[in-house]
Amino acid sequence: MIKAHQINYLHRNFHILDGVDVSLDYGEFLAIVGPNGAGKSSLLSVLANEVKGKQKIVFKDKPITDWDVRELSRHKSKFSQHNSNEIPLQVKDVVMMGRYPYFDTQPAKEDLEAMNNMMYETDIFHLKDRDYNTLSGGEKQRVHLSRVMAQLQNEIAHKLVFLDEPLNNLDIKHQYKALEIIKNFTAKANSAIVVMHDLNLAAQFADKILLMKSGKVSAYGTPEEVFTAQNISQAYNFPCTICGHPITNNPMIIFG
Amino acid sequence: MKTQSKLYFYLIVNALLLVILAVMALYTGVYDFNGASPFSVLGQLIQGDPGLALNDKYVIWDVRAARIIMAILIGSMLAVSGTSLQGLFKNPLATGEAIGLTSGATLLAAIAIVLGGHFKQYLPEVVQFSLVGISAFLGALLAMMLVYRISTSAGKTNVVMMLLSGVAITSIGFSITGFLIYISKDEQLRDLTFWNMGSLAAATWTKNIVLTVVLIISYAVLLPKGKALNAMMLGEKDAEHLGINVEKLKKQIVIITSLMVGTCVAFSGTIGFIGLIVPYILRLLFKSDYVFILPLSAVLGSILLLTADTISRSIVAPSELPIGILTSLIGGPVFIAILIKFKKSL
Repeated sequence: MIKAHQINYLHRNFHILDGVDVSLDYGEFLAIVGPNGAGKSSLLSVLANEVKGKQKIVFKDKPITDWDVRELSRHKSKFSQHNSNEIPLQVKDVVMMGRYPYFDTQPAKEDLEAMNNMMYETDIFHLKDRDYNTLSGGEKQRVHLSRVMAQLQNEIAHKLVFLDEPLNNLDIKHQYKALEIIKNFTAKANSAIVVMHDLNLAAQFADKILLMKSGKVSAYGTPEEVFTAQNISQAYNFPCTICGHPITNNPMIIFG
Repeated sequence: MKTQSKLYFYLIVNALLLVILAVMALYTGVYDFNGASPFSVLGQLIQGDPGLALNDKYVIWDVRAARIIMAILIGSMLAVSGTSLQGLFKNPLATGEAIGLTSGATLLAAIAIVLGGHFKQYLPEVVQFSLVGISAFLGALLAMMLVYRISTSAGKTNVVMMLLSGVAITSIGFSITGFLIYISKDEQLRDLTFWNMGSLAAATWTKNIVLTVVLIISYAVLLPKGKALNAMMLGEKDAEHLGINVEKLKKQIVIITSLMVGTCVAFSGTIGFIGLIVPYILRLLFKSDYVFILPLSAVLGSILLLTADTISRSIVAPSELPIGILTSLIGGPVFIAILIKFKKSL
């Protein structure tokens, strides 16, 4: 799906990313976790081709820079952290932006369907005529989630979504809903790379975990492999205990 | 209603309004066609009636009709350039005047007028003929690139920096233009005053042809960019994820708006605020949906400038009021209204 070898990313001689390798298979849900400033968002930016540089990233067996921008937008999409942007449009117009790669002037039936479906799934359908700017932080997050997911509603096999802290500001119910949307997406042989903070949710939903610290990969593997008390305490500089989830038996991390 | 049909509906309504206004403007004026209606005189002219008096022909065709068409073309381009700039800077205060584009164009045009005589003979003939126009375009382009460099980093525009760099460019332009006025000869002085006031009185059909060509090229590139400008509101990186070639889009907007503003300044001087008022009105109706406001600003700009021009040449007839006075009179309050509305986000 996507492969990156030895990513280095410097800002004023400071290594934000230092020799990071990433490789993702079809149908995988990869969670990137780590303390603040570990380089998680930067790594996602580099992988999503936002940083123009010498990075060699291979997306579907072709260097990502060789892809046509419009063609690429049907294969991958990215959810970024939107904090301050003013968008004086209605919610449905913002979600419809996700369909821009598919129509020229008039949205087709599939576009309207994709927009409506995703608005239902993220539970914002009742907000569709509201002004985007009047929404709460969590509602805005859901608008962008449905935009980004609507962008990948097509017949192409093996798509990839990047999500940078999609769970911010979401209440418990919508955190689970968002993760289920992503999980359903990866169940159809698509892939997802998600930056997140909640280790327990990551353990429960992700197939692979990439634990980062100071711009380096400090552990990579399945949740069971990565989420050991030693790995986590070392990365976060904070004591923790690991036990089995009473129902799913996934690792459960208790801090303190 | 479907997006497309809704857009066409508004376009047609506005176009009809524009036609009505143009006919009214044709009727407005001091010259008396010996009782005949200007419309029938125009009809005679189009049919090639040999009985038509030369005076009548001149007034209807070379004075009024040329001026009406020029108002339509210039109003349209100024409005579209304002809307595109606002899309590029993601801010409703970005207009040619506010960010110094107009000043840059005026400055280089003034230099071409006053000092052009000294170096004109070294230039190829085509350039000589259109020296003022080319200079105005280059002035606008330079100002634009400077402002964009200063105010935008990593795809984010700092509004304060944008407006302040506009202020700086305007003051540089103002002082150098002032100096040029001081050293210029009588005939040049008349030209320069014309720049600063802005007027459509110098309309000719040659100018209209040039304006039409610029308009067609510009609109062919810019008007289909509504979706792209909407996506830019998400931020440049996210627009790129939506399949938009952001770098190319930015270059196109920079060059095309400079071309439009430069041409307008070269032919009509500085007519301010059209690019601010028109998108402001459209935003009240359609929010910031550029799919609507970009093509509609092309028509509404014509309506606004044609109305302003008709008023300016009839309100103190037989004399005429500089049109910039009227547009600024509406533009100033609109600018303040936008400031108040965006107080919290600035």
